[in-house]
Amino acid sequence: MTSITKTTSNVVSAAIVTAAMALPSLQFACADTAPERGIVSFKYLNYQESQGSLSQYSSSSSSSSSSSTSSSGKVHSENDNDNHAIWIDTISGATAVATSTATTPTVVTPKTLSTTTSSTAHDRISVNAYSVMALVPIAGVWSFGTTYISDSVSGASPTYHTSGLTTMHDARQSVDAQLTRYFSSGNVSAGTSYSKESDYLSRSYSLQGSLSTEDKNTTFTLGGSLTDDTINPSTMPNLNAKKTTHAGLIGITRVLTKNDIVQFNLGYSEGEGYYSDPYKYYDNRPGHRNNTTALARWNHHFEGTDGTVHLSYRYYSDTFGIRAHTLDTEYVQPLQNGWAVTPLLRLYTQNEADFYIATGAAEKADPTVITAPPLSATYYSEDQRLSAMGALTVGLKVSKQLNHDWLVDAKVEFYEQRSQWALSGKADTALAPFSARSIQLGISREF
Amino acid sequence: MKKNLFIKSLHALIFLIVLAMSGCSMGPAVQPWEKETLARPEMTFGGDKLDTGYTEHIYSSKEAASGGAGVGGGGCGCN
Repeated sequence: MTSITKTTSNVVSAAIVTAAMALPSLQFACADTAPERGIVSFKYLNYQESQGSLSQYSSSSSSSSSSSTSSSGKVHSENDNDNHAIWIDTISGATAVATSTATTPTVVTPKTLSTTTSSTAHDRISVNAYSVMALVPIAGVWSFGTTYISDSVSGASPTYHTSGLTTMHDARQSVDAQLTRYFSSGNVSAGTSYSKESDYLSRSYSLQGSLSTEDKNTTFTLGGSLTDDTINPSTMPNLNAKKTTHAGLIGITRVLTKNDIVQFNLGYSEGEGYYSDPYKYYDNRPGHRNNTTALARWNHHFEGTDGTVHLSYRYYSDTFGIRAHTLDTEYVQPLQNGWAVTPLLRLYTQNEADFYIATGAAEKADPTVITAPPLSATYYSEDQRLSAMGALTVGLKVSKQLNHDWLVDAKVEFYEQRSQWALSGKADTALAPFSARSIQLGISREF
Repeated sequence: MKKNLFIKSLHALIFLIVLAMSGCSMGPAVQPWEKETLARPEMTFGGDKLDTGYTEHIYSSKEAASGGAGVGGGGCGCN
């Protein structure tokens, strides 16, 4: 232990280890108090994403739409000269089926429909969602919280790299609930969640406890969860694939000054099961995925402006080979008459997964020619979300406290993702830039 | 150059936070009567739950990384 605490950089890990060892022997006895008032909130989300074409793709829209409405795109194999053909047929405008003479025939169909018509507007997925949250204090030492979300998703999505658009529609409903017991120096919370889509069912259970020191300036948190998912793609309705994830998190929150509070969390998650995307060409991912996250957050209040800055950094690493960095910052500025404005900026970067297959030369020239993975590859994916890239979000939230009980807010965010912005890894520069815009409108009442 | 600057800023930020959390460089412990500011909603890490729910869901469906702030919450077919 003494060697660990010698260097400053190890102090945090030492504190966490100490906290972990100390937890079982300490009693959860007086920290947080149950909320004094209940709250009910409602929020609406409208999300629209789009994907531009690169200049060398100027003809891609027309050719890719013609390939899907009529018949064939040919697969080009970058890594061997074996030109096994892949046919993209649209059967009565409903399903796109791809078969291959190679060892792995691929069947591709989006969730419900698939007629590929690349519009010049390049719109992709759009989402409309509604959510409601309620938090109720019970008997001074308990609280019960629940959230319900309903979303409807529709639009076009690529089946490989940023090409081969297919349209889809789906609706998701999810509900979660947490019951928390407050003690004199801590709290224990148990939660569950349930989420259902036409092809995906997820159930999750979690348990979390926190414990504060006597001066309430340091809080240790320990949590764990189990998530059980069942996947039945519309293309393979009887697949009944499973995915099970165990996750754990340990954290420390510390008050530094009357204007500064910091938090550090370490998370680890182990998952087993079906990770492939059944709606994409050439997508076969490993059957397990473990990840580690380290999150550091710092809130600082400026007495001069009465504003508060939130700064956070997350490091993410997983067994797919992804390493990602996220830097988030926002500044809350209260104004007169209950108004507050919060501008925000988020920077994100990741390298590509070990098994990501970059756009081949033939596909670069003609996006309907799908790049095939090398025959020797066990795992492969052409999902742009597993490619090396960087992203930027800018946003603004405005809220107004109407009176003692009511609060309304509105938020707008713009997101841009580009392979050229990857800070590490090998950028697949043939991927078209991706952008999204979201609007949130909320209202909440305390009682 | 840009990359180096970004990475260096990140390291500096992490170092500051770690240093801050060690408590060595800070003054005396904050007393209960000095915690009025810390009790304000914007000084907590909880945030707007529905906003966070939407935002995390969108990011986890468009990027490879997710999580970090807590445990629980269901998966979805979007990623």
